[in-house]
Amino acid sequence: MDKVTVTINGRSFEARPGQSVLQTALDNGIHIPHYCFHPGLPVAGNCRMCLVEIEGVPKLQIACGTTVRDGMVIRSDNDRVRQAVRHVLEFLLINHPVDCPVCDQAGECGLQEYYMLVGRYDSRFAENKVVKHKKASPIGRWVMLDQERCILCSRCVRFTREITKTNEMAIFNRGDHAEIDVFPGGELHNRYSANIVDICPVGALTCRDFRFRCRVWYLKQAPSVCPGCARGCNIAIHFNPERPHHAGGRRVLRFKPRPNPHVNAFWLCDDGRYSYPFIDDHRLRFAALREEGGVRQLYLRDALDRLADWLRSAHAGRTAYLLSADASNEELFAARKLLRDALGVRCLLPDTGLRTGDADDFLICEDKHPNSRGARILFGLGESDPVSPERLEAVLGAEPPELLLVNRADLPGPLRDKILAAGTRLVFLGTNDNATAAAAHLVVPLAVFAEQAGTFTNIEGRVQKFELAVPPLGDAAPEWSVHQGLAERLSVDLAFPGPAAIFHQLAAEVDAFRGLSHESLTPHGAMIRHE
Amino acid sequence: MELSDQLKQTLDALKEQFPKGLSVLMPALHAVQAEHNHIPPELEQPLAAYLGVPAEIVHEVSTFYFMFHTRPVGRHHIYICGNLSCWLRGAETLRDHLADRLGIQPGETTSDGRVTLSVVECLGMCDHAPVMLLDGEFHPDLTVEKVDRILAGLS
Amino acid sequence: MSERILSKRFGLADSHTIGVYEATGGYATARRVLQELTPAQVTDEVKKSNLRGRGGAGFPTGLKWSFIPRDTDRPVYLCVNADESEPGTFKDRHIMEQDPHLLLEGIIISAYAIGCHQAYIYIRGEYIPQIRRLRAAIQEAYGRGCLGRRILGSGFDLEVAVFTGAGAYICGEETALLESLEGKKGYPRLKPPFPAVVGLYGCPTIINNVETLANVPAILEKGGDWFAAVGANRSGGTRLFGVSGHVTRPGVYERPMGYSLKQLIFEDAGGILDGRTLKAVIPGGSSVPVLRADEIDIALDFESVAAAGSMLGSAGVIVMHDGTCMVRALQRLIHFYKDESCGQCSPCREGTGWLLKIINRIIRGDGRPEDVDVMRDVAEGILGNTICPLGDAAALPVISFVTKFRDEFEHFVRHKRSAVLAPVK
Repeated sequence: MDKVTVTINGRSFEARPGQSVLQTALDNGIHIPHYCFHPGLPVAGNCRMCLVEIEGVPKLQIACGTTVRDGMVIRSDNDRVRQAVRHVLEFLLINHPVDCPVCDQAGECGLQEYYMLVGRYDSRFAENKVVKHKKASPIGRWVMLDQERCILCSRCVRFTREITKTNEMAIFNRGDHAEIDVFPGGELHNRYSANIVDICPVGALTCRDFRFRCRVWYLKQAPSVCPGCARGCNIAIHFNPERPHHAGGRRVLRFKPRPNPHVNAFWLCDDGRYSYPFIDDHRLRFAALREEGGVRQLYLRDALDRLADWLRSAHAGRTAYLLSADASNEELFAARKLLRDALGVRCLLPDTGLRTGDADDFLICEDKHPNSRGARILFGLGESDPVSPERLEAVLGAEPPELLLVNRADLPGPLRDKILAAGTRLVFLGTNDNATAAAAHLVVPLAVFAEQAGTFTNIEGRVQKFELAVPPLGDAAPEWSVHQGLAERLSVDLAFPGPAAIFHQLAAEVDAFRGLSHESLTPHGAMIRHE
Repeated sequence: MELSDQLKQTLDALKEQFPKGLSVLMPALHAVQAEHNHIPPELEQPLAAYLGVPAEIVHEVSTFYFMFHTRPVGRHHIYICGNLSCWLRGAETLRDHLADRLGIQPGETTSDGRVTLSVVECLGMCDHAPVMLLDGEFHPDLTVEKVDRILAGLS
Repeated sequence: MSERILSKRFGLADSHTIGVYEATGGYATARRVLQELTPAQVTDEVKKSNLRGRGGAGFPTGLKWSFIPRDTDRPVYLCVNADESEPGTFKDRHIMEQDPHLLLEGIIISAYAIGCHQAYIYIRGEYIPQIRRLRAAIQEAYGRGCLGRRILGSGFDLEVAVFTGAGAYICGEETALLESLEGKKGYPRLKPPFPAVVGLYGCPTIINNVETLANVPAILEKGGDWFAAVGANRSGGTRLFGVSGHVTRPGVYERPMGYSLKQLIFEDAGGILDGRTLKAVIPGGSSVPVLRADEIDIALDFESVAAAGSMLGSAGVIVMHDGTCMVRALQRLIHFYKDESCGQCSPCREGTGWLLKIINRIIRGDGRPEDVDVMRDVAEGILGNTICPLGDAAALPVISFVTKFRDEFEHFVRHKRSAVLAPVK
């Protein structure tokens, strides 16, 4: 392929043929200001912020709309370009309401950012600003519209036209009375609606869920993977360590998509995006023991002592473990090594949330667990091995086990009652409260995915890593840590010192993961070997 | 609100004449306006469905072009040019005269729904300035007297 | 005497009918071209003629046609730009009213040259009588085998349809015209790709102005060299100059390229109205820089007008006498561009609105000392930074008015009224 070398601001770079000047600059760390350009959307070229000077071309050109040619000489740093860009910014600001004090976008706003970078002028606009119709107007379940803040970059229009192909966003009227809006009386009705909040450079489209909860400069981020379904869209968990009294005490404020060209491109579905509350809500924080007199809280170590006793005394053939496809590869591997391999416990994977029939041809999978594939590989299960509620009823109901460990799942009420009536010892290991936890004899609190590092294996077999965002609540612990504690008490020679080390063991023992390591999974994950 | 059978027939013929892309939308909106005096907002979705175009694009187009009206206009719509050549030849005086005679401001409709007065941009009749477009005909070389005669002739 | 290429039938009774057209030699050239010449020969002749676009941009027509890819397997379209909305411009209206068959014959020959079998005439929605006349002429042409299948004794097919706009000057910009023809808002497209490669429905397309096409029959009848010689410099042929404003005989005057602007105003158009003194002239439609009275001794061809600091544009000459308040005159133009800005790109969308607010405030008597400089700087901020030339079209009048008539603007700001006593209203 023909080599293309260009010069930007005096430095030479190799560009990919067919690339835009803007993309080449961004790839090489030269930030040319822009609003309407987005790598996941077709070029619009309407904001005019990315104007650059191309040697030999009389007029300034938009970098996003100019294809690189070998030998092109580009300048974005001279007075002529700076002045033009400052003019463009000024035009965008003259009718912009200075809503910063009440606008969620403050701190991550394109206008603020470029004003500080290339603006810094005193306003000379002495007129009344254009007034538009909708202020703080909901246009869907998740999105709020403020038309006057809009800079008409058309990103949201292009998203609903080209990505979801649902066409909800449009620009009506002409000239400076142009307004971004949905069809009169209409609303956003696609399952990816909140992506337009991400891509809106300003506060015209804001998230109703996040509204007024927390200023963004109090947020920290951790790279992670969405637990909402088997797609494994890459996300960033935004959490608030500095103002714990904000947002009703929730630590995690929102998920934002993280780009991954192999999985989710730049996008995230609404279901996954808004699944974050379970990280903070209705959590099991402390171990609990149910006895004759009622339920009492235990230290985790005492709960593990108790559980180890029960495991020791129960007959292996009459102990069962219901594993969860919400657990990480590391947690699942630790469970397998101890419970199945060392103790011979019968392990079953329930199929709830596996075949929901709710899927689309974009990101949404019918399997609503992030790690079904990991669970099946690590426990040597086939596609049809996960058990339906009927089979579960048949297996456990017919011959209730002595000891039943349930991970995260909520047993169907009748089955739960039947087992308890039959005298089964019911142990619940899980993150969030549910009826099974409430009825269990022993509750062991687990850390959610956001409270540990680990990996999930997505529907296509891509292993992806997530980092710890917030520390576990109360005494909750990652499941592998629980199995470490049990192994010690049961004198089983297993060690699960931490996620990276566990993955190392896993990769050595399980063929599908051979050759992988936590390091090799950066930045976009890696595929398992063919099963 | 529904599309009339006659309108559907017209739209079918237009779709045959302009089969590609969304081209049929522009003449379709002209046809709707010809039948209904304006483009009723309630008709946008049925029209969109009938033509197979997104309703959002119908609304974009109906709000972009100045000759498409999304609210009712008078039975007679006076378009008087206010641009430079007409202004140089006294259009402002005539505009004021019209507003005075009709008892409305430019942009408004008389209360009996007869006449809407709009000041528009260049109509391409500068050699006969000042000029107005009314009921599909140009009225060139206007004077106050001519304007009065025209108004008198309106039903 | 002066060549009458475009206006030779103006004034003849029933000049718009095919009967009169054919009786005066019409369609003979198209017939000969279709039967005896190759498309390449037609394009070559038009290139030789120095015919340049008559819409305003003045791009060489033959060169534009040659941009159609030779080996395309997609349909080629010809779009006739009859959106004539540039203030001061009314020449295309005359052609369509008085000699629509001339336009149709030009369309036939041009379509043949570029390999097009479907032409659309995009006509502004306000030209209702002209649309009627055009439709009637097309029907006549179909009836006589001048349009349709195997036309004029040849094997060439050509369909022509009229497409009506709905009140948007921006649709005179060729890519906005395509967007409107495709049923959308008139938002100009980014170029490249150019319409000759990716145009209507993504297919190769030529967009030509009405007057441009109306010249084509004469070029093929008498030769490109002849046409070039009628003109001046690298501008071939004649222009239909439109004169309006403060003259005693406003109208269209067909004169050769290079004709004297002074002569056009003071002889052909009968000089200044009411015996007053000339103050300013806009030579090429409102989007070009204004000329002061002492700057009008120039030839009207593309190069000469450019050398004088303005542009020939649409050849719409707007004449203003000394009763004109230049501040109010500029306000009319700014109002136009603000109304017509499509709103797609930031500088034009926000800038035209801002300019109007400033000048309205000055006229209201609330002007501030810095206003004139701000207006100029705002116009400079729009100039060259927009997707399409409408931004430039708004900026150039502002810059030229506040530069050449600065004292009037400053007077209005300082004294809260016009410097012109008893201004025309």
